[in-house]
Amino acid sequence: MTAILEVENLTVRFPMPKTSLFGPRQHLEAVRDVSFSLPEGRTLGIVGESGSGKTTTAMAAIRLTGPATGAVRFEGDDIFQLDDEAMRTRRRHMQVIFQDPYSSLNPRDRVSHIVREPLDLLGGAESDNEKNERVRELFALVGLRPDQLNLFPHQFSGGQRQRISIARALATHPKLIVCDEPVSALDVAIQAQILNLLGRLQQQFGLSYLFISHDLGVVRQVCDEIAVMYLGRIVEQAPRAALFARPRHPYTQALLDAAPSLARRKSAGGAKRQQLKGDPPSPINPPPGCAFAERCPRAQQRCTAERPELTEGVACFFPD
Amino acid sequence: MALLEIQDLKVRFRTRYGPVTALDGVSMHFEAGETLGVVGESGCGKSITALSVMGLVPSPPGSVDGGSIRLADEELIGAPDRRLRNLRGSEIAMIFQEPMTSLNPVFTAGDQIAEAIMLHQDVSKSEAFERAIALLDRVGIPEARRRASDYPHQLSGGMRQRVMIAMAVSCQPKVLIADEPTTALDVTVQAQIFELLNDIQQEFGTAIILITHDMGAIAEMADRVAVMYAGRVIEEGRADDILDQPLHPYSRGLIACIPALGKETDEEGRPPPLAEIPGVVPPLHLLGDGCAFKDRCNHRYGPCDARIPVLTDATAHPVACHAAEEGRI
Repeated sequence: MTAILEVENLTVRFPMPKTSLFGPRQHLEAVRDVSFSLPEGRTLGIVGESGSGKTTTAMAAIRLTGPATGAVRFEGDDIFQLDDEAMRTRRRHMQVIFQDPYSSLNPRDRVSHIVREPLDLLGGAESDNEKNERVRELFALVGLRPDQLNLFPHQFSGGQRQRISIARALATHPKLIVCDEPVSALDVAIQAQILNLLGRLQQQFGLSYLFISHDLGVVRQVCDEIAVMYLGRIVEQAPRAALFARPRHPYTQALLDAAPSLARRKSAGGAKRQQLKGDPPSPINPPPGCAFAERCPRAQQRCTAERPELTEGVACFFPD
Repeated sequence: MALLEIQDLKVRFRTRYGPVTALDGVSMHFEAGETLGVVGESGCGKSITALSVMGLVPSPPGSVDGGSIRLADEELIGAPDRRLRNLRGSEIAMIFQEPMTSLNPVFTAGDQIAEAIMLHQDVSKSEAFERAIALLDRVGIPEARRRASDYPHQLSGGMRQRVMIAMAVSCQPKVLIADEPTTALDVTVQAQIFELLNDIQQEFGTAIILITHDMGAIAEMADRVAVMYAGRVIEEGRADDILDQPLHPYSRGLIACIPALGKETDEEGRPPPLAEIPGVVPPLHLLGDGCAFKDRCNHRYGPCDARIPVLTDATAHPVACHAAEEGRI
């Protein structure tokens, strides 16, 4: 199986405002030394709490945020080395579905135009008629009616808006779609509809998804492989079955423990669980050792002094 | 006797499509020390139920057109504004979904909690502030004394929600309404907030009304559940009964459609495809005759088009569904 996207040592550093005129400039390292590869037609999930760098990782991987260092190969070509025009033509093969279907659609634009816009900007030589025909086809594909083509975004519900986002992302026949929390703003019933739609489309077109979510239940539903991020680094990466059956990193275990489950009942005493205290440390001047050490039940002296590297899918000195 | 009892509550709103009935004969009761989960999608009337209890239905366009809400034998509907103002915060308190927008950005966390205390209790400002610090400490904010002088934007989402909870419990209310309290938070923080709410309930015997669309949260938090759809309660019962033997097709759908952990998987670790509830909650002005759920239901038959089903006791627990009542599902 060939990889459609290979990310090597990706690091994203944002400069912070200087605190004093002569003081050193501080940097916020949102993503540090992240590597993964996404095989064609598969789904890689990135999970983590807010601030863990999952969105920045995905956006850097399709060159939508800078300044990033490292290498990202899309179908073999390092996209950080491409010039602007070459990158622009590549964009038709990589599209994004954003989290918030309210702010990611232009409120003043008719939805038919919103869906058509990628074709106008990135499309090939299609005629106007072909483009309009494509928009109708996309509408049918995502389960919207042709009579809704000329409405405005506010006339749709959240779930329908997310369908419009998906239609827009599909317009240019992309190979890779970055799904940035595509269902976290939706009601559960609608969430299931959208997840199933994404699954059907993947089967039909052989799409590859880079799927960002904080919800482990959702990730288990759609992802073949999962990377868990903490403070800008991948702390554990494993295929779905292994990660959920035998999580090895204490952070992954804590995340799984915290996830809501139908099996944990209040009537059964509301099973006290291993709980994470506090918040992650600041990404400005992160601690020298393991970033998770101060919240980790297994932490020992070594953890605060040395940083564990990601080996055999887990970055921990004392994995399970 | 129930601590809080809602009976046959009707709330209407004037809209540009004409009057719509947001709540149509809702009845619920709440006991001290117990958590009632109210579940349903957006637009089912969960939040309006909560706002009615608080006496905060915006009027106009809304109006409470009937029914009663009794708190420890005192009728709240039609009670004078002064009395309601006294009750809000002291007897009934509420925490909202988005802690950033419900805190005032230009006052410190400590000041805002102290304000709530001073409104309801006869204490000096410095004493109220000291109590605020104690409360922040109680809800698990580290270095409470220092954090009390922080402004909301200096706190993380989880800490803001803790401040909201501290404010809500500052006068030891009998009833605490939590409207999607963890929707905006990470799962790890959600677990912390749930535990905090449970601790507070045990300590003060508070009745908690948990409004959510997530059956996973219900499993963990609720003793009893009321499922709402299009302004009506369509099923109610003990949480275990509803989760293990849901009767209404809508409740079944809500449970089947969540990608929860703890469901069976195949050898690749792949869970079965999610069940879908087709369509969306109908807009209230377009509700036709009969059952509001009929267009999304795969058990629809004759009576569903003719009559609105009402809660019946003929089944294992109360449910409003013709098919379930007849034993067809």
